[in-house]
Amino acid sequence: MIVSSAETWLHKVNPSLKLVALIVLCIVALFIHDLNYMMNVTLGVLLLFLCFTGHSIKHILLLSIPFCFIFISTSLTMILFGKGETLWFEWGLISITEESFMRGLLVGFRALLFAALGLTFSLTTRPVNLFYSLMQQVKLKPKYAYSFMAALRLIPIMMEEFQTIRNAMKVRGFEKGKGIRSVYFKMKAYSIPLLSGSIRRAHRIAVAMEAKRFSDTRDRTYYYEFGFSKKDHGFILYFIILLLAGFYLSIQFPLLPI
Amino acid sequence: MKKGLKLTDILVTIVIAVAFGIVYIVWGSLYYSVKPLGLHVDQLIYGMWFIAGPVAFLVLRKPGVALLAEIAAASGEFFLGSPWGLTVLLYGVVQGLFAELVFMAFKYKKFNMSVAVLAAIASCLGSVLMDFAYGEIGALSLWNLSLFMIARFIGSIFFAGVTAYYLVKVLEATGVTNLVRPVSSKDYAELDQK
Amino acid sequence: MERIVHVEKLRMKFPGDESLLFKDLSVSFDRGEKVLLLGPSGCGKSTLLQVLSGLIPNSIEVPMKAEELKWPTSWGYVFQDPDSQFCMPFADEEIAFVLENLSVPKQEMKERIQHHLRQVGLNLKTIHTSIDTLSGGMKQRLAIASVLALEPEVIFLDEPTAMLDPEGTKEIWDLLKGIGRDKTVIIVEHKIDHVLEFIDRIVLFNDDGQIIADGPKDTILSLYKNEMKEHGIWFPGVWDEYIHDNKPIREHQSSDGVPLMQVQGFSGFRKKEEKIKVEELQVHSGEWIVIRGENGAGKSTLLHALMQFIKTNGTYELMGTPIKRVKNLTDHMTFVFQNPEFQFVANSVYEEIAYSLRIDKRTQQEIGERVHSLLEVFRLEAHQDKHPFQLSMGQKRRLSVAASIVIEKKIILLDEPTFGQDSKNTFALLEWFEEYRRRGITVIMVTHDDHISNNFATRIWTVKDGDVISDEKVSTQSGFVETKVLSF
Ligand SMILES: Nc1ncnc2c1ncn2[C@@H]1O[C@H](COP(=O)(O)OP(=O)(O)OP(=O)(O)O)[C@@H](O)[C@H]1O
Ligand SMILES: Nc1ncnc2c1ncn2[C@@H]1O[C@H](COP(=O)(O)OP(=O)(O)OP(=O)(O)O)[C@@H](O)[C@H]1O
Ligand SMILES: [Mg+2]
Ligand SMILES: [Mg+2]
Repeated sequence: MIVSSAETWLHKVNPSLKLVALIVLCIVALFIHDLNYMMNVTLGVLLLFLCFTGHSIKHILLLSIPFCFIFISTSLTMILFGKGETLWFEWGLISITEESFMRGLLVGFRALLFAALGLTFSLTTRPVNLFYSLMQQVKLKPKYAYSFMAALRLIPIMMEEFQTIRNAMKVRGFEKGKGIRSVYFKMKAYSIPLLSGSIRRAHRIAVAMEAKRFSDTRDRTYYYEFGFSKKDHGFILYFIILLLAGFYLSIQFPLLPI
Repeated sequence: MKKGLKLTDILVTIVIAVAFGIVYIVWGSLYYSVKPLGLHVDQLIYGMWFIAGPVAFLVLRKPGVALLAEIAAASGEFFLGSPWGLTVLLYGVVQGLFAELVFMAFKYKKFNMSVAVLAAIASCLGSVLMDFAYGEIGALSLWNLSLFMIARFIGSIFFAGVTAYYLVKVLEATGVTNLVRPVSSKDYAELDQK
Repeated sequence: MERIVHVEKLRMKFPGDESLLFKDLSVSFDRGEKVLLLGPSGCGKSTLLQVLSGLIPNSIEVPMKAEELKWPTSWGYVFQDPDSQFCMPFADEEIAFVLENLSVPKQEMKERIQHHLRQVGLNLKTIHTSIDTLSGGMKQRLAIASVLALEPEVIFLDEPTAMLDPEGTKEIWDLLKGIGRDKTVIIVEHKIDHVLEFIDRIVLFNDDGQIIADGPKDTILSLYKNEMKEHGIWFPGVWDEYIHDNKPIREHQSSDGVPLMQVQGFSGFRKKEEKIKVEELQVHSGEWIVIRGENGAGKSTLLHALMQFIKTNGTYELMGTPIKRVKNLTDHMTFVFQNPEFQFVANSVYEEIAYSLRIDKRTQQEIGERVHSLLEVFRLEAHQDKHPFQLSMGQKRRLSVAASIVIEKKIILLDEPTFGQDSKNTFALLEWFEEYRRRGITVIMVTHDDHISNNFATRIWTVKDGDVISDEKVSTQSGFVETKVLSF
């Protein structure tokens, strides 16, 4: 994300390691079926998100709004329509059972966990750093890495282009049409120039990159170099402790009785 | 298929994908605004999330493009701060892989509507598998689950299959696809005129 | 002399075109030469430059063949469009990208980046500056800096100053004179004022992409003046001759009655920031107003504000009606964007011009007639089935003007309508506007070309730092009649 913020220790963790660690955690989370355990892990990640991304509280809270939304909407379907034995409430097609309620919470927390992990990552990692690190640590081919970086640079340009196309349509008298049919035409009128324009621009940039002697060799040097440091150990340790302690606590001191 | 994709191919694929990444984000809010309607109306529009792969493949017609496009679209969405965070990345990989397999099955030689639809169905299947793991949809009551699946498959066929196909048709009319497709030998032959 | 770039019997054609763009073209360049490729718009200069560097066919696949082809081993290329030649978000990273390609060790990078930025006179607060915040001129400097980082033997320049103000243009050429001294430089440029001192050889092209002359600059300039005039190529003194032959008259329209357009305490905003401010201005019919100012002064922003593309404040009336109550603003005004590519909405040149007519539900016959007459005036007949993006720079510019003025409106706003144009087309455009103006239509145009303000404008606005600082009325060639200083 392009919002500036204070740098924290999370910014200094090796970007590839950060990404891999988070993805592994996500996959682990797919196999956690115990609600208490899930809640503990989620809380541990939320702690990271709330305290260590270096963004102001106001900004963090603003970003958290969609979280609640995701939590509610993800769990609600399961709570209202899930299978279960112990019936709590029934009304028409809706039947809330103890099992469906618990599973609903589980799914909700999992969604919350994924969201928090993702945002923590994107708030503390510059894309450019990530791709440099991926080239160095994961041996991602430079042609992929630089293409991604060039494409990300194009995002704000594309957004602006949308506005420009709107203006161009206006000048040529396009706005006159109304009704459902014109909605379809408008969609077409915006999306096609936007897409074809982006493709042409991408092509032009690729040509410019080759004009600057870009080639896909791996013995290139790097302007930003990434290695590993104590911060990385700390980062890994945090998650190992989180997983272990979370498990222990969920058995010894469960937050919810199940 | 010497040495895989060229820089131009990769950059164009990624830019198409990132453009859809932006659409995906907008789509996300639409998705959540119809979700409260209940009964899986939301699933009808879910298929939009599979469109990047088929579009990129139909434009470039090269191996690996569909997978790359879905991954790139998901990363674009991810970097722009999608509230789903890492979920989209995992889903992106699986959906892209499934679509890619369909194109591969046809040896990357078929570019018609049926392949696009098949790829869409495959992506949809991939996403459903992910949902069993992540959203535990297996625990939904049967009638509800069936409704869910039917809605999602119909939506996928419509958005990622039919829409993608026609979108590329219109793009072809703008001449932009010539930039990334190989020049025909007929054009070379015409150099010897007169 | 050592030949460093060379092509023998080049043939090439764009897919789908009927005729060849180059047919058996041969040209070569020696080490250390400074050469200008000069020719009418659309003759193939940009394309040839790409062939000479090897971009065609190595990066862009276009059917071509040649009996002999020698590319330079080390070269750099500055493109026409300042926006789409960067791949990284920050200035230092962009140059670092080049250094990485050359496997320069990391320790040396910082210093070399600073060195190259200093070389092109780009004084940034920190080298880690976002490219998006640079003005057009600064971007072009950065592009040159990253080319210098390649330490090239040969530099290819494709109209590097097309978008720059006179000041910036002069600076870039002065800069290139300094750093290009021991290099081979091959240049495509229409506006040759500053280039002439720098080059020693000229290659002259005709409309069909054939070389009609090739030799030392003084010889070419003195012997081939008629050919250059005939093909519409700029040469020193074109304007004087044109004025001498045509004597544009600028009788002033009476300025009483209700003004066509009136603004007071008017300002325009971009991203909530006030970017343009006007104290008071009135516009009457039949005026030709030229807006001048440096790059980034706010000229385009002023036009956008008048077109209501951006949020504005203050009084703005069109024919006595407050702008908010004018139903279809575009029924009265039309607009030509600074970047022609921004406004293309159709898939062929023909359809692009016909677009507004179709929306206006004109008859098929009328559409056909109108479009054909415009295609002819703007010399685009041969390209009517192409996609607008496939045109040359100058052709795109002409198409964007043609498409916007196809339906007559009371006011035409134009943002630099003549950049990248050869002389024939420039005069054709200007005469077209002049004819409109005589019929009572108001022309408001942004331009960096002083010849236009001196010979065609009836009024000149000057914009500086987001402020319209002066409003001068001009009536005859004798000069300014009345100057109103608005603010400082
Ligand atoms: N990709 C393309 N496909 C088809 N035709 C093209 C393409 N690019 C250029 N052309 C055509 O080739 C011709 C030469 O174009 P080029 O850009 O080289 O002109 P130019 O001499 O640089 O003109 P200008 O001074 O206006 O920039 C033009 O007529 C143009 O329409
Ligand atoms: N889309 C935009 N968003 C934000 N700021 C902008 C935008 N376009 C221009 N600006 C800023 O507004 C100011 C005026 O820009 P404008 O484009 O009007 O200059 P100009 O006089 O037309 O320059 P040029 O001669 O280079 O075209 C500049 O500081 C520029 O950075
Ligand atoms: Mg050109
Ligand atoms: Mg401007």
